[in-house]
Amino acid sequence: MKPSAESKRNLTEGGGVPQAVSSRKQKKEEKARRKQEKYYTASQWQLMWRKLLKHKLAMASAVVLIVLYLGAAFAPFIAPQGLEDYSSSASNMPPTQLHFVHDGEFIGPFIYRYDVERDEMRNKVFVEDTSQPYPLKFFVHGIPYKLFGVFESDLHLYGVDNTNLPEGQEPLQFMPFGADQLGRDLFSRIIIGSQVSLTVPLLGTLISFVLALIIGGISGYYGGWIDTVIQRIVEVLSSFPTLPLWMALSAAIPAGIPVVQVYIWITLIMSLMGWTGLSRTVRSQFLALKKEDYVTAARLAGVSDMKIIIKHLVPGFMSYLIVNLTLGIPNMILGETSMSFLGLGMRAPATSWGVLLQECQNVSNIANCPWKLIPLIFVAISILAFNFLGDGLRDAADPYK
Amino acid sequence: MDKAKFIGKRLLLAVITLFMISFVVFFVIQLPPGDFVDTLVTNMIAEGEKVSQSEIDSLRQLYGVDQPFLIQYFGWLGGILTGDWGTSFNFDQNVLTIILEYLGPTMLLSVLTLIVQYVVSIPIGIYAAKHQYSVGDYALSFIGFIGMAIPHFLFAILLMYISYQLTGTAVMGLFPEGGIVDFASFLDFLKRLIIPIIVIGLGGTCSSIRSTRALMLDEQTRPYVLCTRAKGVKEAALTWKYELRAILNPTVSGLGGIIAGIFNGSTITAIVLLLPTLGPILLQALKTQDVYLSGGILLISAVLVVLGTLLSDLLLAVLDPRIQYIEETK
Amino acid sequence: MEEQKQAILSVENLKISIRMEEGVLTPVRGVSFQIREGETMGLVGESGCGKSLTSKAILGINTANCKTEGTITFSIDGHSQDLLKLKHNGAEIRKIRGKDISMIFQEPMTSFSPLFTVGSQIAEAVRIHTGKNKQEARELVIDTMKKVGISNPEKRFDQYPHEFSGGMLQRSLIAMALVCNPRLLIADEPTTALDVTIQAQILELMNQLKKDYGMSILYITHDLGTVAQMCDWVAVMYLGKIVEYASVQEIFKNPLHPYTRGLMGSVHKIGSGGGRLFSIEGTVPVAMNLPDRCGFYDRCSRREGVCGGTDPVMREVLPNHWAACWCAEEKEGCPNV
Repeated sequence: MKPSAESKRNLTEGGGVPQAVSSRKQKKEEKARRKQEKYYTASQWQLMWRKLLKHKLAMASAVVLIVLYLGAAFAPFIAPQGLEDYSSSASNMPPTQLHFVHDGEFIGPFIYRYDVERDEMRNKVFVEDTSQPYPLKFFVHGIPYKLFGVFESDLHLYGVDNTNLPEGQEPLQFMPFGADQLGRDLFSRIIIGSQVSLTVPLLGTLISFVLALIIGGISGYYGGWIDTVIQRIVEVLSSFPTLPLWMALSAAIPAGIPVVQVYIWITLIMSLMGWTGLSRTVRSQFLALKKEDYVTAARLAGVSDMKIIIKHLVPGFMSYLIVNLTLGIPNMILGETSMSFLGLGMRAPATSWGVLLQECQNVSNIANCPWKLIPLIFVAISILAFNFLGDGLRDAADPYK
Repeated sequence: MDKAKFIGKRLLLAVITLFMISFVVFFVIQLPPGDFVDTLVTNMIAEGEKVSQSEIDSLRQLYGVDQPFLIQYFGWLGGILTGDWGTSFNFDQNVLTIILEYLGPTMLLSVLTLIVQYVVSIPIGIYAAKHQYSVGDYALSFIGFIGMAIPHFLFAILLMYISYQLTGTAVMGLFPEGGIVDFASFLDFLKRLIIPIIVIGLGGTCSSIRSTRALMLDEQTRPYVLCTRAKGVKEAALTWKYELRAILNPTVSGLGGIIAGIFNGSTITAIVLLLPTLGPILLQALKTQDVYLSGGILLISAVLVVLGTLLSDLLLAVLDPRIQYIEETK
Repeated sequence: MEEQKQAILSVENLKISIRMEEGVLTPVRGVSFQIREGETMGLVGESGCGKSLTSKAILGINTANCKTEGTITFSIDGHSQDLLKLKHNGAEIRKIRGKDISMIFQEPMTSFSPLFTVGSQIAEAVRIHTGKNKQEARELVIDTMKKVGISNPEKRFDQYPHEFSGGMLQRSLIAMALVCNPRLLIADEPTTALDVTIQAQILELMNQLKKDYGMSILYITHDLGTVAQMCDWVAVMYLGKIVEYASVQEIFKNPLHPYTRGLMGSVHKIGSGGGRLFSIEGTVPVAMNLPDRCGFYDRCSRREGVCGGTDPVMREVLPNHWAACWCAEEKEGCPNV
């Protein structure tokens, strides 16, 4: 609505000023009322969505998560290196310096070649050779890969133009996060590792969600001896400190099985421990809602058990569950990272953030190569993002707020 | 006697839970391919011994690993109950002896962390609730989120790195060399406690702050608060007498979970900081398939959590006049 | 007219607004009334009309997000003060709470903390407002509990709220309100959570105690039936405003505002025969973005052209009988309810 244009029209089209003002006031009132009306008739999900949009931190977290997951999906395209690539000369190389100005002239992003030298303590140091710039190019052809396991390509987001490289030199790499012990680009490995670190928690949570819904639902809806037995099992499982049990179960994954199977096992182990808390939530919600009059009314009207559960009970606490679900993911990220860190999770050649952090196990390694802590930032950010998103969802799902 | 009945019921449930836990533990340690004798034989061969098939068979009979699963389980359970927890070939000792040796420091660290966690989190949580939406509240929430987002082991590494940068030495282990003999070594011991306690307690403290805050906010909306305020009670008395007392019950009933959380944290922290607790022993036992040792450690940690839960139930029975109510909310 | 007694509480143009995400909600939009010594004033209205907020504003116990304007003058022993000027939860208002003005709440079951004995919670009020020691306070509480009809008060003193029935808890709540001899008792729907027989007993008890203690009562209810039994004066509240104000005999005999008439029509009378109970059409609008006209306009059965204009103000239509309605005089022309 453009008040100035409208008032002008009112003036020129006659009808007197006072009348125009009052009609505008009425229109404004009408608009406010309609807005209110829409608010009062919106469904629970619409309201939740609307409140979530207002939660800035949650929205920012959602964006961060989308970026992270897109990164994982397009990992081979974004990462210049593959899983198997390494370079002995780049062992423990610090993050590559990015330059823009060569010989006082702006020539776009480029890097210099590093020479390995030894300082007086015989420690390895990397010194830039500033004679020749190697420009950074976007959409370059590099090592071949299969995107989503289907589309073959060798196009990468960025790479170094090595055409001016002297004969016999190893091609240069731009390593924004430095390299690990074996001279592998940490950035590439973080991106590739996110395929494991970000999907295990998601799949694990989904599986435990389904388990919790079924088991907790049975327990809460039917009650009686089934409930007692299930509650005992839940109590037993939740009596274990999760990490030691995770460790014991992971240690039981047979050695030498394919990476994909290890992945599946780890996901299953995570979800096996994750469903108990959620199933208690489902159960207590079932118990609480079961007593509601509208459920009794539905039962009196002869609606079947299954239909009552699906149509009347589940929607009643779905939002609540989704919140719990979101808030449960960080635990699984921590779990997977911890297991891999201890060497009980993903195994070479696969990688994950926890595997990358294995090199941080001793202090001197971190003191010499602090960039090896960068995966920690990714772990922390993804956990924070899920926490904030879950928090925003919780606020949005609370009808009394 | 309502309370006696409640306590009796809880005790009975704890015993049943313990029994089921022992079954799960035995099941889990039997999972890896091969059995105890396989590992034993591999180790013997690695040490240069020659082992014949007949010797292996007699070993199998000796350790009873050729028996059906259930018979093995009850044999193991019988041993647990009579104090024979099996032999660890890593240590070449009775498992119970090893566990008891490491249990002391583990418990010390856990109990200290537990106390610090409650002492720090409850006042902060109450402050945040009383100043909802203030700058302090937001700052605390933010710190709390970050605290929960940092994995224990990385926090341990970070703190170790920082202390290394500040003091020039990386403080490892729990006890000073030569043990605690005089005041100076006691101080050294206290200093070594700081990092482990911060690391292990951080996540739990942060989540405890959040739950205290939420409980407190919830409590403030209850009708009795209005009624008590209307009779002229001071706000401070309302907070510290009525509301704190009310949130104490859910806080206490979370004890079992908090103990489990502390075990989670201490397991991995101890591995990084080389603390003489059960965590590193468990990892080693799992990696070398020292099954009786890993089973014993799993069992003892679950038992401690169950005991913690039991303790919280007993505390609740003392704290809350409404046993019926507790029963229903359990 | 009987002689006018001294006003103990006079509320002038009380406005309460709450800032919310969707806008500013104004549940109380300018309420004025007086309560005189030894009299009971009934504040009647549907749920959500702002009567509870009004009563809580007197003690300053509304939540912090409520903005309160106007004056509430409380006068005892020749000394008057504006309660709204006192610091939020400060020492001065706390001295009044529970001592000079006390309150009984709707839900006896949740008005006591479940974790302390009922007796100790009542005794706390005594300990705060008098110099009595623990033993003296206990004696006074037991005495008061006996007065409100709690049998075996010595044993009851040490019991927890969950061991009490709803009626007994409401009696205890009354004992807590009376234990310091208040000059004004605010009873916020004290009987809604109780069943009918207990309701009658509690109201009877309150009437008796009013005589014994010589206090004034602000009786808040949505139930007109109990008003006749309890009150000397009645104020009918609708959508944050008082729409009619008169003595109890007058208002029952001669209700002027269509809303009051509607309320009376929806009470079942013995001997009135069969037929449907009258009900007021529509629902109470939300007190946000209200147009400047009579708040009852949309639901009124006898609205006229003039009603669409500005909001009617309270005026003395008959002697000592105020109403806020443009058509209050045209009694004859309105449909008989």
